[in-house]
This record gives sequence, structure tokens and C-alpha cells, in this order.
Amino acid sequence: MIGYNRLRRFAPLGVAAVLALALAACAQSYPNSTFTPHSDLGRSIDFLWNRLMFFGTIVFVLVEGALIYVVIRYRRKSEDVTPPQTHGNVVLEITWTLIPAAILAFIAVPTVRTIFETQAPAPANSLVINVYGHQWWWEFEYPEYKFTTANEIYIPKGRTVDLVLHSKDVIHSFWVPQLAGKRDAIPNHTNHIWFTPDSNMATTVWNGFCTEYCGDSHGEMHFRVITVTPEQFASWVTRQQAPGFFGPPATPPTAAIASAGAATPATTPAAGTKTDSAAAAAPPAAPVTPAYGPTASPALLASYVLPHSEVPEYAIPHTPLPAEIKFDDNLTGDPAAGEKLFVGAGTCNACHSVTGNPLAVGTIGPNLTHVGSRITIAGGMYLNDKTHLSRWIKNARIMKSGVLMPTLGKGQYDPQTKATMPAGLSDQQIADLVAYLQALK
Amino acid sequence: MSTATVSHHYSSTGLDNRKIAIWAFIGSECMLFVSLISTYLIYKDRSVVGPYPHTPWTDPSTGHVYHAILNIPVTSASTFILLMSSLAMVLALSAVENKGKPQRNLGERILGNSKLWLFMTALLGLGFLGCQAYEFTSFVNEGLTIKTNLFGSTFFTLTGFHGAHVTAGVIWILSMLFIDIKRGLGPSDALNVDIMALYWHFVDVVWVAIFTLVYLIR
Amino acid sequence: MATTVIETTPPHLKPFVPSPVPATVQTYGSSIWGWITTTDHKKIGTLYLFTALFFFLIGGIEAEIIRAQLGGPNRHLVSAETYNQIFTMHGTTMIFLAIMPLSAAFFNFVIPLQIGARDVAFPRLNAFSYWIYLLGGLFISIPILFGHAPNAGWFGYAPLTTKAYSPGVNVDFWVVGLQILGISSLAAGFNFITTIINLRSPGMSLMRMPVFTWMAFIVQFMIVLAFPVITVALFFLLMDRFFGTQFYEVASGGDPLLWQHLFWIFGHPEVYILVLPAFGLVSEVVPTFSKKPLFGYPVMVYSGILIGFLGFGVWAHHMFAVGMGPIADSVFGVTTMLIAIPTGVKIFNWIGTIAQGQFKATSASLFAVGLVCLFTIGGISGVMHSSPPADLQQTDSYFIVAHFHYVLFGGSIMGIFAGIYFYFPKMFGRIMDEKLGKAHFWLTFVAMNLTFFPMHFSGMLGMPRRIYTYDAGQGWDAFNQTSTWGAYLLFVASLIFMYNFFKSLKSGRPAGPNPWGAGTLEWTIPSPPPPYNFAALPNVTSRYPLWEGKQADIDSARINQQGGKSAEELGIVLPYNTVKPALSALFLVLMFSGLIVGHWLIFAGAAAMVLALYAWLTSPLEPEHH
Repeated sequence: MIGYNRLRRFAPLGVAAVLALALAACAQSYPNSTFTPHSDLGRSIDFLWNRLMFFGTIVFVLVEGALIYVVIRYRRKSEDVTPPQTHGNVVLEITWTLIPAAILAFIAVPTVRTIFETQAPAPANSLVINVYGHQWWWEFEYPEYKFTTANEIYIPKGRTVDLVLHSKDVIHSFWVPQLAGKRDAIPNHTNHIWFTPDSNMATTVWNGFCTEYCGDSHGEMHFRVITVTPEQFASWVTRQQAPGFFGPPATPPTAAIASAGAATPATTPAAGTKTDSAAAAAPPAAPVTPAYGPTASPALLASYVLPHSEVPEYAIPHTPLPAEIKFDDNLTGDPAAGEKLFVGAGTCNACHSVTGNPLAVGTIGPNLTHVGSRITIAGGMYLNDKTHLSRWIKNARIMKSGVLMPTLGKGQYDPQTKATMPAGLSDQQIADLVAYLQALK
Repeated sequence: MSTATVSHHYSSTGLDNRKIAIWAFIGSECMLFVSLISTYLIYKDRSVVGPYPHTPWTDPSTGHVYHAILNIPVTSASTFILLMSSLAMVLALSAVENKGKPQRNLGERILGNSKLWLFMTALLGLGFLGCQAYEFTSFVNEGLTIKTNLFGSTFFTLTGFHGAHVTAGVIWILSMLFIDIKRGLGPSDALNVDIMALYWHFVDVVWVAIFTLVYLIR
Repeated sequence: MATTVIETTPPHLKPFVPSPVPATVQTYGSSIWGWITTTDHKKIGTLYLFTALFFFLIGGIEAEIIRAQLGGPNRHLVSAETYNQIFTMHGTTMIFLAIMPLSAAFFNFVIPLQIGARDVAFPRLNAFSYWIYLLGGLFISIPILFGHAPNAGWFGYAPLTTKAYSPGVNVDFWVVGLQILGISSLAAGFNFITTIINLRSPGMSLMRMPVFTWMAFIVQFMIVLAFPVITVALFFLLMDRFFGTQFYEVASGGDPLLWQHLFWIFGHPEVYILVLPAFGLVSEVVPTFSKKPLFGYPVMVYSGILIGFLGFGVWAHHMFAVGMGPIADSVFGVTTMLIAIPTGVKIFNWIGTIAQGQFKATSASLFAVGLVCLFTIGGISGVMHSSPPADLQQTDSYFIVAHFHYVLFGGSIMGIFAGIYFYFPKMFGRIMDEKLGKAHFWLTFVAMNLTFFPMHFSGMLGMPRRIYTYDAGQGWDAFNQTSTWGAYLLFVASLIFMYNFFKSLKSGRPAGPNPWGAGTLEWTIPSPPPPYNFAALPNVTSRYPLWEGKQADIDSARINQQGGKSAEELGIVLPYNTVKPALSALFLVLMFSGLIVGHWLIFAGAAAMVLALYAWLTSPLEPEHH
């Protein structure tokens, strides 16, 4: 029989192909894997997953095995044979109805138990974080510590975090695969998901994704979760609670971040390659005095934020820059001028706030009080450095589809209004703003 | 309706195809109205602003006081009218089925007058629609439109769907009346009238459910 | 004019010899007007088949674009906006314009033949259903050529689909288009329910009906009960978008979950609507090529009915991440697990049919076995989703994409291909090329697994759904690359199929009444059947009249096998051809278009439609006869 002879010949090939794929796959690292839980909730889910896989594999092997067996064993060898005209077998049919039912009971019981355990109210002393989904960025508010940030959250290891999920527009979903399952953020609803990150893991960054289709840039609505020790967390909190200030010059970026930051639009740099980009961000000159708010204290300046060198490669976005946005990367920005532009010609304060600046209280866009110390910008889409930030300010609407933030650069094309901006910010003004924002550590 | 005479075709059940089809249609329409009624019930008491069906409301921005919008006495009357129209429909069907039988007295002549009862069914149906029209316009005048709040949206959509079904039914009945006037309806048309009656009674039953759940139950 | 050999021994209990073939193959006639005015279920089924295959190709091209874009990290073959239109249209096209109408092609062509009827209960309504589908399909598909295609997903969650967040016409086309298409399915549902209840040939009790007709029967009930719910959901959205109501308006207290509940109360039965016909086709193909009856016929029927019922009780398993609370999560988790039982039982019964049989691998039987193999995988991943806590990792990831492609491609499409190879001779009087068919199967089977199996991994390794691109270094590259290559191969496989299909139409080997040695009524008449199907309505005494029938069955088969007589010669009255259903469909679609084009068109279209309907309703179906 032609059909199954081919099957026999191809089967070993097929197995080999699958194995090869598996081997190749295993060689990689999987930074977003759900198979390595790092929290109590993650482990509860993993327990159920393992049980499901166990039974699923058994059923798969038995059923596919039976199918392959009958197709081969009972293949037609001659047209003269009349097979027995069996119509059924009651005993067999009852058996193969009851066995799946029994298997399902083994799944249903732990399932229901886990549901009630994990959906009970969060423990009393949890760290509450109000999460607000926006198109297409995440806002995070810590009510216990009274500050608001965006794009990334720090949570202490070993303490339960209770994420209270809201949405300011459409339905979004909050997912950090390596830490927990997901939960939707629905307007007019308040959802919770709580879990306790393991105490005994390294301080590191986890990728987070929006996982409910929410419009144009749903695919670029990312965030980061940084799990730190309780001491690091307390220190970070003091930083976040402080008003925006000018800090000392930024530490020179490492090679990895430099190569990612200097990516040309057409290429995706491989992790860790050194480029000879002397154009990699040169540190600004002298520190500047703040124009408002308390002078930054040494304690605050020394407060904790995850060093750039410790950000793992997978948490660094490699989104290429759109080729159509040109920017003179050699310009040096003046943070003081940038601060004036922020509440002046730049009109940034219409949407953004910087705590401590009474003129900057906009709530439409992300809170920028400490934007300089974040890993990413633009809802997790781009690396937070001069190159990306300048182009973001120049033409956010080309950098990210559909965003509310206007196209600000002079002469830039706005794809939403389909018009070119006659007036707008010059490259120097943008450089000034970038210097100011980068100094808001 | 089709002018084809009674089907002589073989059928597995002895029923006409159209009878089975109308029941399938009615089953489907049940799901339609269940969805609309469920939405109304889910959104009950969730409107952010008034007016409300059973309770008065003061608009905080204008100070205007809106009384409870629904008018139970008027709607009870219109419900009664619709129920009576179902009775008229029963009599119309009976008259059509019994056409040709001797009518011995005035009572039997009245009962056997299919044109009269078809006319009465349509008239009462139009009466119901008239009451609905009066009710809706008065609601709009009092400040409740389909856009005003969740109550307005769900209420007008639900009763509007029902009213559209009643309207379609009235047109159907008037067409049947027209045929009765033109060539007369007899026992061979009983199936068509029966199907129309089934639809009409269904629409009536849906109204009873709406009246109970929307108007009577607070 | 064919001479026939009178079959006294049931065909499958003899050495298999293809039944005698006629010298010439009858065709349906090529006049376009004839096709526009037809009320013949066979021609309507043929129209559905061609149109649906066309849309399947369109949906496939959309899939290729998706895979090309996702073949590597950070690609920009298409912009985010374009991608969002493409993935929305891929889902919408495949579900509403390809799979459902492909099933409809078989409902139309096969059901009357399987139950021994001359046509469906309402032939003109049947034509109407087709024209609504064609025009509605064009309505919802053409906007992509102008970059205005629906772009909020095939599931259109509010409030993304409200005017505030989707101000363009894209979602307007989606809402109105789906409303139009729903009418097509509903009308067909009433038609087939009546047909199957009322037009069965003498002796064809419900428990003697072929399993395909049973599955189709259950599907029609699901359609008429599920489609009104999405009609209401869409109506609310339509009212919100066009007339300013508050159903999904968050500021007025509207609840986005209302949309989700209404949609999935329709949406879950919908997926069983998509797969049960394929199950039915497999239930015809497997026994035929095993030379023995279906194993466990009553259980196959009862499990189908149970799926029909339970299918309405599991919908919120699409909503395990929305926070319904532990009780709702638990209930829907358990009901979802329960529905796995009647579904799984069918797999075992098919395996039991092949067991002890004489299985022959043909294009049709290979695709049928392919369904059994691949749907099992999809079913297992489905059970994995049924546990709500575990689903919190799986939902909205590529793991789900893997699952539903295994059940929809590995299930519905494989079954439909089996049905096409199986019924092609009956429909067109010719047999499709077996070599090309087998090549199509093997390439499809391998490519399908290459495309969708890696998605299980990328999903559980953290890749969300509905994203137009992904970053490098996330661990997803190899899997996506493999999927993309698999998709390219799938396209090649589809081209092989298309070539075989059209080549065989012209020059395939002529088929007689029963080229496969099958056992049910449709194989007792010529291929293609004459307009009246059966010269004499058969008397049925068993589930497999040609295999297990008594003398009455054999006598009926003998009469009906002979071709060459016209309806007039036999004294059979056929319905008139009429353009009124097509016209009514056109005006209805124009009426709906008025929501987007301009309100004047609503009234003009409605008026014209009422006139066309009135003309339809007051004209006779067929010539007077007694």
C-alpha cells in the first residue's frame, strides 16, 4: 500500500527532525518560560501543568499508538477479504468512557482547590500596587508609599505583592510569564493577582507583556518587573518618593547596552558584541543645580536602582529605529534648558508630571519623575538612552503606531493626521529635553 | 403567502414543512429575546445617571427632578389589548378552519367571520403599537432616550425589538386580511393562518415576559 | 445512457471493482443565469464549495503574510496597523467565509441525498442563504484592498471596538458584515432542520440516518440557538457605534464583559459548529474504506447530541483571566472537562471502526485518519486549557493558537478535505487524481505539524498572541522560523490541491454511482445525480442500505442507479428557477450597507427588499400539480 509504506519510510526521518529541533531548541535560553516558576502562584500553576502534561502524554501515546497500530495492522492486503461487520462493543465503549472521566477527576480536584486558594483575598501585609493599563503603556502606583511610576516595578523578594489591575481605556492583560499567570485589566472592573516572589533567587529583571489585544501597538506594550532584596526595595522606594532632581552624571553605559543603543534601523545587533562606536553616549559635563525642590541629598543619590550592567540581555529591547527619523546625535543637551522647555515650548507638562515641579502635573502620559533610571521608554519598546529618547520625542507617532503623544519635531510627518508639522522642536531643543529627562534619576 | 395549494408531498412526520420551520424560528427567536432580556436584567440598577424605571431621580447638575419613568397603568392596558388580540387571532383561525360550515345564528355568523377577526387582531395589534408609541414619546419628552443611560439603551432596544416583531406581525395579518377580502380564505389556507397565529402568540408571550420582568418586578 | 449491472451482493463484500462508468459525464450546465436563479441544492452546494475554496485561499494568503512577518524578530514586512487588519481578517475569513461555508457545501449537497429527498424543504430560502453569504463575504472582505479592513480581532472585544477606540470604518464593516452573514446561517438552519425532520425517505428513521446527517442536524440546532446571541451582541455594538447608545460605554456604567459573555455564548457553540460536520464526514469516510460499519453508531449520535448541549455550557472558559471569581471559574472548568468525554469517545469509535477492518489508504481516508490523529492533539491541549489556574499561563499565548489550529485545521480542514475527495465524484462525476491527492495529504500533514506544533512551545515560553512582532533574545526565534517554513509548505500543498481539483473537474477519471463501494443512499444514484436525485424515493430498511439492506433497498437502488431519464419522463415536478432569492439577498445587503454609506440607502434597500420578498412569497415554488 503506497500510503503507509511512505509512512514507514518517513517516520524515522520525522522523529529525527523533531529531535533535532528539540536539541537546537534546548541549547537556547528561555527568559520568558512558564516552565520555571519563581513564585508560589507559579508553582501552584506548574503543579497543575505537570499533572496535565503527565496525563496528556499518556493519552497521546495510547491514542496515537492505537491509531497507528490499526491503520497498519488492518490495512487492506486483498480486495477479496470481507472483514467482520462489527457494530460496536458495549463493554469497550463503557470502559473507554469511564477511564477519561476518571482521569479528568484527577485533574478537576486539584484544579478547584488551586482556584480557591489562589483567588482568596491577598494576605494582609501584601505590597499593594495599583496597575493601570493604558494604550500602550503601564502605569504603576504604590499606595503604601505614595508614588507613581511607569514601565517597570520593583518588588521585594519574599513579600507577597498584590497587583490590583485597572484599565484606563480598553481591556489589557498583565503577564509576567516567569513569575505568575496573567489577569486582565478591564475598565469598570478591579481585578487582583497576587503572588510571592521566591526569596532565594538573584536580583534580576523579568519581562512582562500585555496579553489582551488592545489596538495598534498591543505588540509593543511591555513592562519590566525587577525582584530585589527587601533592603534594595526600601532604598528604591526612598528614591521614588523623592521629587525629580538633577543627579550626578550618568554612569557610562556598558558595551552591550551601547551596541544595542547604537543599532541602525536595518540590523539587530547580536548580544554582547562590542562596536567601536565612540559615538556611544559620552557622559555630560558638570552636574547642574536643581531649579526647584530640595537639593538631592547624598543618601538619595546613593539610593538603589538596578545598575544597567546588571540588566540581562533579554530585558533590553532591540526594537530597531525607524529610518525616517533623522537626528543629530552629536548635539549636547543642557538639562536646565530642557527643564524650561518641559513646561514651555515642549508642552510636555500637558500630559506628563514630574513630582516636585508644580507646573508638571499632567496625568495623561507616564509619570516621568524618575524616568532617567528606567531601563526602557515608550511602554517598554525602546531602550532608555539618548539615541532612542531623542527620536521618541521628535516623532513618537512614527516610533510607535497610534500613540497619543504628538509628533513634536519641526518638519516631521505625523502619520495620524497625515500632515507635516510646520512648527515644532528643533533638534537642539530635543537634545536639551533629553538631557533633562536623563538627569531625572 | 405562497398561492400553492396544500402540499401533497410525502413528509416523515405528517406535518407541513412550514409548521416545523416556524417552530424552529420561534426557538431561535427565544434565544434572541432571552439575550435582550438578560442584558436588561444585568444592567438593571447599574445606570450611572437617571431617569430610572421605578424610582425618582434628581439630576445633580440641573436640579431637575425626574419621576419614575414607567407608567404601569397605561402599560397594563396595552398588555391587555395585546392579549385580547391573541384571542381575536384564535377566533380568526377558527373561522378560517370552519369556513363553509353552516352558520345557524347571529352568534355563529359573528364567530365565523374571518375577516372580522383578522381585522380585530390587526386593530388590537395596532392599538398596542399605538400605546407603545405614546409611551415612548412621553419618555423622550420626560428626558429618557435610547442614549441617555443603560436603562434607556436596554429598555428601548428590548421593547423596540418586540415592537418591530409586532409590526411585522400586523403587516402579515393585514396581508392575510387582504387575501381574505380578495379571494376568501378557507380550510385549505388554515395552515398559513395557523403559522401566522403561532408567530403572533409567541410575540404575545414574549410581551408577557417583558411586562413582568421590566414593569412589574422592581 | 448507462447500462448498469444489477448489484445483488452488497458492494463492499465483493472484490472491489469500481462501478461501471457512463460514457459521458453529466454536467450542471454553464449558463450564468442558470446558476444565479438555481434552487437546486446540488448546484447551490457547488456554489458554496467554489466560493468557500476561494475564501480559504484568501485566508491562507493572510496567514502567509502573518507568518512572513513573524518569521524572525523585529521584522517590518507590514506595519502594526496592517498586521492587525491581516490577523483579524484571517480569523474572520477562515471561520465565517471558509470553514462554515465548506460545511454548508456538504450540508447542501449531501443531506438530501443521504436521507432520500429530492431537495431541501425550502429551495428558494436555500438559494437566498448562499447569495447572502457571497455578498456578505464580499462586503466584509473588500475593505482590506483599501486598507480599511476590520482590525479589532475576529472576536472584537469591547471597548476596543467602540467608536471611541476604533473611530474608523474598519469595525463598522466588521459589525455589519457579520450581521449579514448571520442571516445566511440562520436561514439555512431553519431549512435543514425542517428538511431532516420532515423529508426523510420512507423507512429512514432518525437512528438510521447517516452520521454526517446527524452531525449536521445537531449543528443546525446549535446555529439557530447560538446565532441570535451574537446578533444581539453585534446589534448592541452597532447601536453604540451608529446611534450613541450606552451598552458598552464604560463611562455610563457599561460592562465590557457583557460583550465577552454574549460573544462566547455564541462563540463556543460556534467552534463545535465548525468541527462537527468534519466529524460527520470522517464518520462516512472511515467505514467506507474499512469496509465495515461505523463502530458504535448510537454512541456517535448520542455523543454528538451531548456535545450540542454541553457546548452551550462551557463558554466562559474563554474568560478564565477576566476575574469571574472562583465559583464561576470552577464551574466552567469542570463543564469544559466534561465535554472532553463525548468528544474523546468519537476518536475511539473511529479507531474501533478501522480495527478488524480492511483499511485502504486513499486521499479521502488518509485525510480522515489525519483528522483523528491531529484532533487528538488539539483535544489534549484543550483539556490542558480547561484548568483555570493552568490556563492563566496558557490563555492569550501561542499555546492557544496551537490548540485551535490543531482542532480547526487538524480537525475541520482535514475532515473537509476528506469529504472533498470522497464526494467529488458524486458532485462532478469524476474522481480526483489519487497520486496528487496523496501528495497533498502528506505535504499537508507534515507542514501542518511543522507550522503549529512549535507554537505549543513558543506559547509556554512566554509568547503572547496577536503581536505584530517580537524582540530577539526572547527564546522564540527558532519556533517562529519553523512555523513560517511550515506555513510556506502548507501553501504549496494547497496549490497542489487546487491544481488537482480543477484538473480533475475537466479530465478526471469518470465515476459511476458508487466508486468507493460505500453503503449509504447517496451512492445509489448516478454521479452527478440527476436534478430530481431519486427516480423513486427509496424505501430504507437499514443504516447502510447498500451493505445491509433488504430486498426493498436493493430494488430501490436498482431503479435509482439508472440515469438518463428526465424529470418530465418520470412525472417528477421540480421547482422553478427564480432570481427572487438572489435579488432579495442583494437588497438586504444594500440595506445594511446603508449604515455605512448613508441612511437613505437603508430605506431604499429595505423598500426594494420588501418588494422582492413579496414577489417571492406570492409566487409558487413549482408548477401546480396534484
